[in-house]
Amino acid sequence: MPLLVAVVLSAGIGVWVMVSLGVDRPMSYDGIEEHFKYGSIGSEPGISLLAPVGGALPPFWVLSALPAICPDKAPNGYAGFGMIVEPGHDRPIGISRRRRVGLDHAGLNCAVCHTGTVRDTDGGPPRIVLGMPAHQLDLQAFVQFVTDCTLDDRVTADAIRSHLPSSGGPSLFERALLRAGLVGRLKTQTLNLRNRIAPILADDVPRWGRGRVDTFNPYKAVQFNWNLRKLPPDELIGASDFPSLWNQKPREGMHLHWDGDNDSVDERNLSAALGAGVTPVTVDHDSLKRVRGWIWTLPPPKYPYSVDQTLAARGAPLYRQHCAECHADHRFRDGVTTGSRVGLVEPIGNIGTDRHRLDAYTFVFAANQAGLYPDSPYRFSHFRKTNGYANHPLDGIWLRGPYLHNGAVPTLRDLLDPPDRRPAAFYRGNDVFDQRRVGFVSDVTGTGGRSFSRYDTRVPGNGNGGHLYGTALSDDDKWAIVEYMKTF
Amino acid sequence: MWWLRSRRRRLATGVLLILVAVGGLVVYDRVFREEPAPYFQSDEDHFLYGSVGTEAEGIPYWIWLVLPRIFPEYLRPGGYASIGMLSRDGHEMPIGLSRVTVGVPRVGINCAMCHSARFRATPDEVPTVYPAAAAQQDGARAYVKFLISCANDPRFTAGTLLGEIAKNTRLSFTDRVLYRIAIIPNTRRRMLRLRDDRPFGHLTIAGATPPHEPAIGDSDVMPLWALGRRDGKPFLRDGLNTSLREVVQSSALAYGATKKWLDDDAGNWNRTDPRAMSSLRRVLHYIGELRPPTYPFPIDDRLAAAGKLIYDANCATCHKSGGARAASVIPLSEIGTDRQRLDLWTPDAAKAYNVYGQGHAWKFANFRKTAGYLAVPLNGVWLTAPYLHNGSVPTIADLLEPVAGRPGKFWRGYDLYDSARLGYVTLGADAERGGTPFDVTAPGNSNVGHLYGTELAPEQKRALLEYLKTL
Repeated sequence: MPLLVAVVLSAGIGVWVMVSLGVDRPMSYDGIEEHFKYGSIGSEPGISLLAPVGGALPPFWVLSALPAICPDKAPNGYAGFGMIVEPGHDRPIGISRRRRVGLDHAGLNCAVCHTGTVRDTDGGPPRIVLGMPAHQLDLQAFVQFVTDCTLDDRVTADAIRSHLPSSGGPSLFERALLRAGLVGRLKTQTLNLRNRIAPILADDVPRWGRGRVDTFNPYKAVQFNWNLRKLPPDELIGASDFPSLWNQKPREGMHLHWDGDNDSVDERNLSAALGAGVTPVTVDHDSLKRVRGWIWTLPPPKYPYSVDQTLAARGAPLYRQHCAECHADHRFRDGVTTGSRVGLVEPIGNIGTDRHRLDAYTFVFAANQAGLYPDSPYRFSHFRKTNGYANHPLDGIWLRGPYLHNGAVPTLRDLLDPPDRRPAAFYRGNDVFDQRRVGFVSDVTGTGGRSFSRYDTRVPGNGNGGHLYGTALSDDDKWAIVEYMKTF
Repeated sequence: MWWLRSRRRRLATGVLLILVAVGGLVVYDRVFREEPAPYFQSDEDHFLYGSVGTEAEGIPYWIWLVLPRIFPEYLRPGGYASIGMLSRDGHEMPIGLSRVTVGVPRVGINCAMCHSARFRATPDEVPTVYPAAAAQQDGARAYVKFLISCANDPRFTAGTLLGEIAKNTRLSFTDRVLYRIAIIPNTRRRMLRLRDDRPFGHLTIAGATPPHEPAIGDSDVMPLWALGRRDGKPFLRDGLNTSLREVVQSSALAYGATKKWLDDDAGNWNRTDPRAMSSLRRVLHYIGELRPPTYPFPIDDRLAAAGKLIYDANCATCHKSGGARAASVIPLSEIGTDRQRLDLWTPDAAKAYNVYGQGHAWKFANFRKTAGYLAVPLNGVWLTAPYLHNGSVPTIADLLEPVAGRPGKFWRGYDLYDSARLGYVTLGADAERGGTPFDVTAPGNSNVGHLYGTELAPEQKRALLEYLKTL
């Protein structure tokens, strides 16, 4: 009889473990905007508990406890890194939850880098704009914090348990795992990740600062396990601005990414998903398709402030003469592409902007990308090395500052000045809008607990030279063009 | 009792038989079942990515895919591309590697691995890949060295490999078991048998016993364009065969194609539908007709015209199509270049090759021993650097210097072109970073001999150089 009880009991436990490990269930959302902000794209670790595949973040309950365990490293919590926290939500925008291999995992999604805030005035409430560049986000500092704190001695199973909520916390199974060596395994995984990306996380390269990411260098280390320290040092300087996500339909076939290395929207999306932590086996294609369908026609937000229509009307023909050939005009928001060079790559010799981002993407790297999503219909086949930067359409351009691929010029008006008259140093990450010069206020070091990133244009990768189009116009003409661009 | 025992036995036997049958089917499916090689519409793509039957001996695709990610320290950062494998147009496999399912998907090599070159006119531009041109980068040998290093590494275990594969695909349970107990250990054993300390390539099938150990005598890859009109004349550096068909077929064998594959391929030799046609016939057709690329920089026509006279007087006998000794074997005593490559091939080897295929439709008859090196046709010569059969002279400008004036050490493999000297850039930090050092004092690497034109006046050399650009 005791034998029977033991057998039944262990069989029961076995079934419980198998069922718990087998579950793969994202926290899902019916509304597309909620899905974009909080839904899972499959960037959480999966496949096996002992050798999990994918993911850049620790399990949800650990992630939630980190700021409280390492307050010295994150005095303002995740919001301090520019992540957007909405009331009534258990995590910032851009972080998903998904039950996989027995754990409530956290992952990054599209919204983390493609949702921003705007304020009319310093004291005003922030408006959350979906699909705009996360110009306030210091992604590098966020990743650095998560890895550093996870590896901190203060992070123990006990410490995490003491920070669990009193109700609605982790399941019994997760609590059991927490006791059974989860933290040790997590630290091993984190150490492995940090070892791979250390040269671009630490101060070996100029800091990305708020609103920027080095798209491809982390990928070289994480996907391909290249030793970054063996690359030419300049190749590791690749930080550039987050782009906007709206209005993708008329972009299909254009050269996407700053250097125009891919002309397929879908492939570009899947590539960005890799950056968020998916792998070809954990990626949630259905979820990505929902996001894709939405950004396909998501309209760029209209300029909400007053526009001097007379001045804008005077700017329109000037813009047509000096800018439209490469950048299309205000009608692009409705899918009308004007200009013969829109979406093409402008050779670096012509455009003359900082070349680091271009050089960070190499021929050899492109060759390796053809092995991503292998043996599947999603396998990459559109990546190409280019020799310049792509001419992007300017829909919703008022929300896409700072300008140029590396965000070296704070406002549209500054961009129309020759490089020596553009600001040599300024601050990024403030979400107060500058209605006069069009861009974000860039001369404030910090406000209300938020400190902004100092951007020095003399630092390698940060150059503000080049793109001299329109810089020879009269001041009146320049103001007219800026006014017209508010209508994009 | 007796009945019961017998039924049990019958049952057991039945179950056993079913298990054996199922097991046999699985083994057949995952070990022997050969799918047709992927079809490529253009002859060029067939040449670059198509199968020449080497996959059965090749590396299983999933293992091949993850090796650079597990053992990056045996490569420069950049995966297979870092050792000179070329890629184009977002194609999944690098140029020169084919993928065919033999049991499981496997990766073999084809002609384009060595016979395709990468070129840039300026450091800034995106490299151009010229199919069938002569590779001057690491390529095949570096690939083999890498595979050997991986196989010798204690981390080459089923656990490590399957862990990395799991990041890329979900193998079925059956496949995971097979990879663990059979495919990964077998692949490792096979990789451990590879040798990187002997010459590669065309001379490695069937009893081509080198006369000395260690065998040395690597020669430079040759371009494969416009070979059709040379059929019947000597091929390879020492002209050891005169039949283009035999050269192509024996090369496939040397790189791992099996006799059985070649039997099948030869059986389809005369079919005309490209889908059913012999793969090697398609290759042969492609390299028979392909034109060499034209020189991509400006040419000074007047200078070139002056150079033509010098060329006709000094080079044309051996190198110009129609010249008295064009595309013939020039005795070593006359040309005076390094002899190691010549000595590598022996009369016995020629005999062995000629009997190797007896009884097969593709049997060979034209292998022979020669006493010198081929006077190569110079069409597209601008793209065939470095020069001489062993690639010991980096540029044509250097080749026109007496031996003492030719570089003693340089780096091969950098793809930036030096239009002033006709050859690739072989010195400087960039050449060193991506290149392999070449030392002319190493055995087999001597840059002596071929003194033709070294006595010309500097302005005559300049004119000759200019004319050579037009070929």
